[in-house]
Amino acid sequence: MPQTETYILNMGPQHPSTHGVLRVNLELDGEKILRATPMMGYLHRGIEKLLESRTYIQGVPYTDRLDYVSSMNNNFGYCRAVEELAGIEVPARAEYIRVIMAELNRIASHQVFIGSLANDLGASTGMLYTFRDREEILDLFDLVCGARMTFHYIRVGGVARNLPPEFAEKCRKFLDRVPEFTEEYANLLMGNEIFQRRLKGVSRLTPEQALAHNMTGPNIRATGIPFDLRKVDGYSVYPQFAFEVPVGENGDNWDRFRVRFREITESARIVRQALEGLPEGPVMAKFPKMLKPPKGEVFSRTEGTRGELGFYIVSDGTAKPYRVHIRRPSFINMQALDDMCRGYLIGDSVVAFSAIDPLMGEVDC
Amino acid sequence: MFGKGLITGMGITIRHFFGKKATFCYPEEKLTMTEHFRGGHLTIDYKKCIACQLCAIQCPNQAIKLKVVTDANRKRHLESYVHSMGRCLYCDLCIEGCAPHALSWDKDYEISTWHKEDLVHQVMTDEDRSYLAEVMTQAAANPTPPPVPKAAPKPAAAAPPAAKPADTEVKPRE
Ligand code: SF4
Ligand code: SF4
Repeated sequence: MPQTETYILNMGPQHPSTHGVLRVNLELDGEKILRATPMMGYLHRGIEKLLESRTYIQGVPYTDRLDYVSSMNNNFGYCRAVEELAGIEVPARAEYIRVIMAELNRIASHQVFIGSLANDLGASTGMLYTFRDREEILDLFDLVCGARMTFHYIRVGGVARNLPPEFAEKCRKFLDRVPEFTEEYANLLMGNEIFQRRLKGVSRLTPEQALAHNMTGPNIRATGIPFDLRKVDGYSVYPQFAFEVPVGENGDNWDRFRVRFREITESARIVRQALEGLPEGPVMAKFPKMLKPPKGEVFSRTEGTRGELGFYIVSDGTAKPYRVHIRRPSFINMQALDDMCRGYLIGDSVVAFSAIDPLMGEVDC
Repeated sequence: MFGKGLITGMGITIRHFFGKKATFCYPEEKLTMTEHFRGGHLTIDYKKCIACQLCAIQCPNQAIKLKVVTDANRKRHLESYVHSMGRCLYCDLCIEGCAPHALSWDKDYEISTWHKEDLVHQVMTDEDRSYLAEVMTQAAANPTPPPVPKAAPKPAAAAPPAAKPADTEVKPRE
């Protein structure tokens, strides 16, 4: 009998499907994966330390660089934590604007997910369609804050500036297009048999496994657990809006895709309601320019696009935080990669990775 | 039926093939940037600037280095103003922090360079420099008498004496 041996293959760090720079150490038996260990740290910039050496207000632009596909949500999370620490009351209009921005960014982020998943499955055309539509959201952001990538729009105490007068109309125009382009994605991708076969029943996780890995966001909702902080915590003005939390059944890649796909529609619903209920008033709270929160610590969490985004901030009473720790959902979700890859083929590891939807800027922080 | 999805997908492709183009020919056609666009070179309206250095203090990444001189009338002026674009986060904090609205972006989005040395941008133009020289000589020629000190000016609070213009460079915060 010929003896066979397992062997080790390094996927990445420079690999187009790693969404950044990640190395996955794969132990293979032929084409079958026995073990997949993600090796992180190639994009580490020490953002937690950078935040500790800046004042609270100067720290906000750095959070843009965590998960650079959904910067608004990061700004939102950080600002909420600082506000809780300093006891700042945010005006109602600012809260509404924040929710609009966060949900628009969620749509944009899920579009990137759909596009890159299609790309990783070899359907590069899919990517072009989603990126074309994401462009409209970026144009909206450009209009309000002057940037298309690192927005720095949501600030401590409110938002940077009021919405321009033409925003509401342009935003409604975009929302009207949501059913149109989601249908297009459905026809282009979801109906496609190759797409379905690559996703259905692959990389299954049970709810118990997902909980054991402390997964959050669309990844845990795909296993059937309706854990969404917008509902569970009901922070900001979310309780005032009617929306559903899509959940999956099987916890496979197909469900991960479906959950995000349906979230696009739900987010659009929230934006529409927020636009309608948008109150008048100031968009910035009044507080001293040199913010010195009292001594203490806070852990504040929001529902980022990839899961529970938490900021833990310790204040020693000075103008700079004493310690900042960021609970990055991508980093924690990524730990399930091993379970999701075991027993599947090399080609599926790329899809599993893509379906977790991690962003390396956030993983390495 | 297997392949039905493929055909629907192809239908979309064909529809877009004959539809409106989503792109445009970039170097020939250019976009106009929005009102609040943050990007390009920092520009300064030199005559508005009161040399308060707030922009440099606001900057999270110490991208702004400026030098301030004091003329014979104890009025402060910028002597040099350097914006390191390689360090800049384009966060807009400097512009928002500038009370007299002297700073703005020039909205030029083609700012990539071959060398990182080229990213150091001298914000003050030659015009600004000659204006500064003019102001300095004018102030030196007819200095207005300093306001009568009410009490002995405290050394820490008073501006540097007019006799020797002192350069103050903004140091990075500790
Ligand atoms: S903040 Fe404005 S006025 Fe003050 S030094 Fe900077 S540019 Fe000049
Ligand atoms: S945009 Fe931000 S990083 Fe750039 S110079 Fe101004 S304050 Fe500094």
